[in-house]
Amino acid sequence: MEAPPVTVMPVTGGTINMMEYLLQGSVLDQSLESLLHRLRGLCDNMEPESFADHELVYLLKGQQGNPFMLRARRSLLHPTAPWHLRYLGQPEVGDKSRHALVRNCVDVAASHSLPDFLNEMGFRMDHEFVAKGQVFRKGAMKVVVSKLLRVLASGNTENTEPMSLSYLVELSVLAPAGQDTVSEDMRSFAEQLKPLVHLEKIDPKRLM
Amino acid sequence: MSGGPAVRVSIESQCERQVQEVSLDGLETYVPPLSMSQNLAKLAQRIDFDQSSDSEQESREPRSQPEPEEDEGVWGVFYLERSYVVFSRFDSASVQTPQVFQLISKKKSLATAAQLLLKGAEKLTKSLAENQEQRRQRDFNSELLRLRSQWKLRKLGHKILGDLSYRSAGSLFPHHGTFEVIKNTDIDLDKKVPDDYCPLNVQIPSDLEGSAYIKVSIQKQSADIGDLGTVSLFRRQPKAKPASQMWHLKLEAAQNVLLCKEIFAQLSREAVQIKSQIPHIVVKNQILSQPFPGLQLSISLCHSTGEKKIQRASPDKSKPDDHLYVLEHNLHQLIREFHKQTLSSVVMPHPASSPFGHKRLRLAGPMAYDKAEISSLQQSEGLLEKIIKQAKHIFLRSRTARTIDSLASRIEDPQIQAHWSNINSVYESSVKVLITSQGYEQICKSIQLQLNIGVEQIRVVHRDGRVVTLSHQEQELQDFLLSQMSQHQVHAVQQLAKVMGWHVLSFSNHVGLGPIESIGNASAITVASPSGEHTISVRNGPESGCKVLVQFPRSQAKELLKSDVLQEGRWTHLRGPYREVHWGRMEGRNFVYKMELLMAALTPCP
Repeated sequence: MEAPPVTVMPVTGGTINMMEYLLQGSVLDQSLESLLHRLRGLCDNMEPESFADHELVYLLKGQQGNPFMLRARRSLLHPTAPWHLRYLGQPEVGDKSRHALVRNCVDVAASHSLPDFLNEMGFRMDHEFVAKGQVFRKGAMKVVVSKLLRVLASGNTENTEPMSLSYLVELSVLAPAGQDTVSEDMRSFAEQLKPLVHLEKIDPKRLM
Repeated sequence: MSGGPAVRVSIESQCERQVQEVSLDGLETYVPPLSMSQNLAKLAQRIDFDQSSDSEQESREPRSQPEPEEDEGVWGVFYLERSYVVFSRFDSASVQTPQVFQLISKKKSLATAAQLLLKGAEKLTKSLAENQEQRRQRDFNSELLRLRSQWKLRKLGHKILGDLSYRSAGSLFPHHGTFEVIKNTDIDLDKKVPDDYCPLNVQIPSDLEGSAYIKVSIQKQSADIGDLGTVSLFRRQPKAKPASQMWHLKLEAAQNVLLCKEIFAQLSREAVQIKSQIPHIVVKNQILSQPFPGLQLSISLCHSTGEKKIQRASPDKSKPDDHLYVLEHNLHQLIREFHKQTLSSVVMPHPASSPFGHKRLRLAGPMAYDKAEISSLQQSEGLLEKIIKQAKHIFLRSRTARTIDSLASRIEDPQIQAHWSNINSVYESSVKVLITSQGYEQICKSIQLQLNIGVEQIRVVHRDGRVVTLSHQEQELQDFLLSQMSQHQVHAVQQLAKVMGWHVLSFSNHVGLGPIESIGNASAITVASPSGEHTISVRNGPESGCKVLVQFPRSQAKELLKSDVLQEGRWTHLRGPYREVHWGRMEGRNFVYKMELLMAALTPCP
């Protein structure tokens, strides 16, 4: 029996075309408390939400140069919660005046057999790390303050050591393509966090 | 002449001028010598001007050693007024103090004293004015502190902005809700400060000015759809003038206006999107829907800016209070619950990189939920549907109460009692209806109905376990209660017979004999006296009323034919023909009382 035809046209619409607007910054460990207080005051009125996640980065090396990267993340505090698989595209080279980094983003929830599935598909795990910290929200904006920890023995999330003496601060919004007012709101929010932390657009290509 | 080597001797004149400073390289800087005017000023300070300039005593005193500066003739005026201490013979007898001099000296001293006092007073007033100014400054800061303790403020450049929207509480309404804090400097220091003066003023967005409320009312449906145009108006205005209101009143009113706008926007969005059997109409600031046929529910946003007098539309003036305050309050509560839901920790992402969303909905993909499960997870009812259901229930409840009350006032026998329960929900209330006869409550209590009033239906549970569901029609409930009342009379006879010792020969709740009733069915009972000589037959119907027949023994019947079949005398003790009782002419205040009298009359004393 023939395999059913695979559509050549890309899927558009729905949640496929979501863009992630991102601003990043960092604070030293000793300034963390004041940053958390500030965020508690600026963001929506909720109890602070702590998280501890284990992220694995998978690469699919094809014949061409660029390997395809997928990020699989699970929560260590909520073991029954589903895994989260994420694809992040290349940052959009729009006008330079856009204040945030914009890239295509596909988010999928997956069951607990995700690592096996990815291995079967041909992906190989490139690296993994543990992130612990707190999440804040303000409307559609999400602020994640996380400490990145290196996993010493692969698969063992108990033995970890911090990668640096600072916390990573990320301000992100998931929005459909074409909404530029989002970056304005993000910029004005980032202004309010100065001088505790400087959130800016960091191009990942320049870091490599 | 000395024989030694020559010694150089340096002679230096005495230093007349003072050394101001010695620099690091040894150079001395002298205080510059005083100029002529400076010198004069220094000497003038030493002069005592208290002595009068043209006193004869002074002029008589000989001058002693003159000062070296006296040679300069330009300054001669001052030196004339100088007084010197001189020892000379003083003849006390020749001294006279003319009164003129005393007067003049007193005048001069008073003038100086007055000048000192005036100078002091001037200084005091200046310092008082400064204090007041400072206090005003401090007032602004203390007001700002109080404002900051209640509202969210931030500084943008040199402007102070605040946020009066509900966005930090979970609202998704796109209004910015920013207000600006300004200093009130239009105050004149000289004039009296007004009582309600506040150094701090807030500038709210122009579309949030005034005050607003959501009016929910149920009316009889207007025949013409063209009547919907101008909307219901505002109730009585609050007394305060908007310009001079305190900032907290202004901010609270503006926040209320914003919340009302959000509620109305949500309701109108749902009214347009939700498909229902009878579509909802959204006209300007009014939403109309039909909860029951013939009725109209109108939800309108009444916003008055307080600038001009509101034109009062006359038709509504007759019914000022058909506004359902409960529903308005419930609308506010519902929107606040909706806000809380967006902020609950159920929405927060675990792991942290996943998007916001309900945590159970995130399982939909991995657990392969089907459409039914997903729709059961999602919020199915919107604000509009909830409020329409509540309105329906309120209306049904009030109509049920009205029906019961009208029956109770119209019919005296039997009596109908309603005990409403205090605790009820927004969608359900209950009432216990008892039908009793006055004076016989303990005996005749067989009809007890529990009415559960829901959103669209009334469920009646009878004491004997029967469940009847009634629709929202008023007539159904009324007919049902009337039929129950007629059944009660017959039940009452049954109970009474037990008490009186009479025997029940037959009893039927729904007899098939006699004229057909339009409401319910007639019931009938036949009871026999203890001796068996008499029977009473009662037929009671909701419409036909009651009919009572009494059966007498054959011996008491007058028109009985003598027959050949019955030859023995004992057959005359059997019951014979029936005779109807003129029930209306019976004595007794209600049916059961009359029945008791009748039974008593038919039971002969031993």
